[in-house]
Amino acid sequence: MSSDKQAHKLYDKEGKAIKDRPWIFRTYAGHTNVWASNELYRSNLGKGQTGLSIALDLPTQCGYSSDHDIARPEIGKVGVPINSLDDMKVLFDQIPLDQMNTSMTINGTSMWLLALYVALAEEQGVDIADLKGTTQNDLIKEYLARGTYIFPPEDSIRLIVDMYEYCLHNIPSWNASNICSYHLQEAGATPVQELAFALTTAITILDAIRDRGCFNEEEFERCVGRISYFVNAGMRFVEEVCKMRAFCEMWDEITTERYGVKNPKYRRFRYGVQVNSLGLTEEQPENNAWRILIETLGVTLSRNARCRALQLPAWNEALSLPRPWDQQWSIRLQQILAYETDLLEYPDLFEGSHVVESKVNDLKEQAYAEINKILDMGGGVEAVKTGYMKTSLVTSQGERMTKLVNGEQVVVGKNKWTEGIESPLVKGSDGGIFMVDADAAQRTIDALNKTRSERDPARAEAALKRLAEEAAQGVNLMEASIECAKARVTTGEWSDTLRAAFGEFRPPTGVDGQALNIENDTLTAVRKKVETFIETHGYRPRIVVGKPGLDGHSNGAEMIAVAARHTGFDVIYFGIRLSAVDIVQSALEENVDVIGISLLSGSHNEITDQLFEELEKHGAREAIPVILGGIIPTPDFDALYDKGIKRIFTPKDFDLMSVMSEIIDVINEQKRA
Amino acid sequence: MPLSQQHTLLQELESIHQAMDAPLDPTTHDLLHQAAQLEKWPIAQLISIFERNNTESLIKRHAITRYMDTHPDLFGKQACIFGVTGTPGAGKSSLIGELCLSLLEQQPDISIAVLAIDPSSQSSGGALLGDRTRTQFPVNNKQVFFRSQASHLDLGGMGKATFHVMRLLRKFFDVVMIETVGIGQSEIEVQRLSDHTMLVMQPLAGDQVQFMKAGIMEVPDTFVINKCDEDALAKKSRHLLKASLKLAQIHLSGDEAEQAIFMTSATQRKGIREVAEYLLKVCSVDRPDNFDEQEVYFRNKWIREAYGEFGLGVFEHFKDKAELSRGTFEEKELAYKQLMANFLTKLK
Repeated sequence: MSSDKQAHKLYDKEGKAIKDRPWIFRTYAGHTNVWASNELYRSNLGKGQTGLSIALDLPTQCGYSSDHDIARPEIGKVGVPINSLDDMKVLFDQIPLDQMNTSMTINGTSMWLLALYVALAEEQGVDIADLKGTTQNDLIKEYLARGTYIFPPEDSIRLIVDMYEYCLHNIPSWNASNICSYHLQEAGATPVQELAFALTTAITILDAIRDRGCFNEEEFERCVGRISYFVNAGMRFVEEVCKMRAFCEMWDEITTERYGVKNPKYRRFRYGVQVNSLGLTEEQPENNAWRILIETLGVTLSRNARCRALQLPAWNEALSLPRPWDQQWSIRLQQILAYETDLLEYPDLFEGSHVVESKVNDLKEQAYAEINKILDMGGGVEAVKTGYMKTSLVTSQGERMTKLVNGEQVVVGKNKWTEGIESPLVKGSDGGIFMVDADAAQRTIDALNKTRSERDPARAEAALKRLAEEAAQGVNLMEASIECAKARVTTGEWSDTLRAAFGEFRPPTGVDGQALNIENDTLTAVRKKVETFIETHGYRPRIVVGKPGLDGHSNGAEMIAVAARHTGFDVIYFGIRLSAVDIVQSALEENVDVIGISLLSGSHNEITDQLFEELEKHGAREAIPVILGGIIPTPDFDALYDKGIKRIFTPKDFDLMSVMSEIIDVINEQKRA
Repeated sequence: MPLSQQHTLLQELESIHQAMDAPLDPTTHDLLHQAAQLEKWPIAQLISIFERNNTESLIKRHAITRYMDTHPDLFGKQACIFGVTGTPGAGKSSLIGELCLSLLEQQPDISIAVLAIDPSSQSSGGALLGDRTRTQFPVNNKQVFFRSQASHLDLGGMGKATFHVMRLLRKFFDVVMIETVGIGQSEIEVQRLSDHTMLVMQPLAGDQVQFMKAGIMEVPDTFVINKCDEDALAKKSRHLLKASLKLAQIHLSGDEAEQAIFMTSATQRKGIREVAEYLLKVCSVDRPDNFDEQEVYFRNKWIREAYGEFGLGVFEHFKDKAELSRGTFEEKELAYKQLMANFLTKLK
């Protein structure tokens, strides 16, 4: 009887009071090699995790087989390496594919990973129509923030559309791509930019699908319904609740007005979340446990805007890769919130709140203005090519850093209440961090060689030939890729074939024309040092800032580049995915005073060796000092200093002007030597 | 300025003069010989000497120039210099990158240097030199050399040091490309430094044509309409450009006119080969040596910056003095400084 219903309760169709089912619990996981990762997944599933979130290593994400030179330092570092279908077989050993919801964080090579997953299902006799999951496959945010793109924007969009077309007809429950605002926030995006850029990305994809004309009206509606999102939640959790509500409303409006979707089911904003890792601190890392909890509230409190799936970072991510125990601790948080509290018993808590409604409208208004601006400029692809979105993000990041330095934004333990008792959590024998087993990479390479030697070479060759031809003809490349997978083609071979067809892309860096607003005593002191340097030596100090290896998280490097110019340096910044050879060559041609490299993937030891070897080759090892920044575990410091690194900066060193002061000191020490 | 200080200045200038007599020091001598083999770091270090603004560099620049002039067997090249201008965003860097690759392909023994100039910040004086991002040269290939330079707030939009660096690079490479910041008066400056200038434009950008009409910019030798990703757009832009040139009564040199407008897409590698072939043709034709004119222009620029119009007046008055036009640029510069110092002393 509906009249008896109470506003604070949830009811099912029969009018019985119910409790919501919790969101999907996920842990972003994968490391070392397929054997270790398989073990980890099975253990996580045993602990009550209800979906898989596969982390792939950087070579797999950037389209290199493990034995490529650029791949070797990165094998198994930030995820699991996948070279061929044989690796997939091991990775999913004893995991029933038809019962899994599998999310893969894969972009540049997402078609390849989906092809491998489909081929694996087919070889195991699983009906592929039963497969469920997501390939991240959002290239626009790769160009803007994450850096694992390979091909030019137009070709990347084509591959995404190919996958939507294939999935709708063959794997209806697969999310061919996941529009990500997560990484935009990590790269500095404000809530408005997050809303605007993510929705613009969705519009770019849907416009491309519509323009291909491969679906009838009913199919297109279903396809719109397959668009899902991957969102970030930060510390301003009230605003985050409002942001999520704004997302839901705007998506409903856009799908209705722009695409005429009639069925409300297909207009629903479906999203998964990883809460913010950027705000996690290296200082007093135990505080991050609270931060993760608070950030979780932002995406769970409002029922109408609640996430579908949630993965939490580990408390120590700012220190290094998390250990299994750290991840277990985060899963426990989700379980406590979902099962111990009464959160899931209520309808939306914010319905009718004037405060929330007003805030949501404000966000929407600003976001629509930004979306229209980008669409007027020619849309998402154009805004990638011109660097408009990237530049906006770097600007926001600069403002954020400025507020941190000025103390305008308080971060406990970082710029306020920095004194305290040392955490016993980081005192374990391993320093509270996870170390990758160095020999495990060899097992991956051995398996790759075994696959190569045992496969039918004629079949592999024919499959690659077909891929190349169909790439040129504009045919949907899914079938050709699945055949490649079955023919035991490798990740590097599949990618190289498409590199030859499409070319490789380097997007704008976004640092041009950026300025910082920092004006403080440290800046004055650093500028004075720079002036003294100019008077003494007759030129401005020159620095080359580069990101070697495959890691594309370029915020740190970009901030150093912008800060260096702010203090009066001439800065050579040329982006990501550089080899040690590239960096050394530019340092020599530009005759710089110092080389700054940034690394977050854990490959700093190997890459430092490569860099010094290359400098040595040119007789410049003693002449050009090298500084290092990024996520560098403290136990590694001594070895790096021994190798010859002059300074190491980590997220603790957020005061950019102090960093610059030390850099100019390094240069002066070198000049005196 | 007190008299005593004038004496010190004169003495200091005299000591510089004497230092100039010293032969090339062994380190720099070695650098030069390695640079002649197109070794990257030695070339880079020499460029730094030519960029730097202090007495030590002045003396070294003189010694290096004198050494190169007296060893034409090693330093006998006279590069063909291309100036590449155009508004920011026209795709100059990407185009240069692709052009260099195409030049290498068509003439495998060619050597090319690129000097890319980026603006310095007004507030901090520092600069972000990001043009490397947009080129993809083969690594460790001695035949292509890339160097970034900051404009250092120079009003001309060309780095103060650009002229000096060109004096050096022209002796080592077959082709040198200068990429301007693309704003202000850099077009005029680059024209002074180059044998041939290219204006890179975006499709349908009428603004450059407006500039020309207003007489702000001197007419480039070649127009490149870049970013012609679509054929229709490319044709339309070409037509528009030709019509505008006609309207502005700008006549491209004779029957070359048709060839002097190119349509390219650096990202799609379209039309690049045609431009590269044309550049090679330009290189193969005997070029008038405009180095003396360049010297005069940049000497006057320097005098104006250091002493103003008054300084130029003094120069005009004394220009027949032999030491003002003898030896290297640095010797002439020093002779002028001495002249000025003497002149000022006498005024006292």
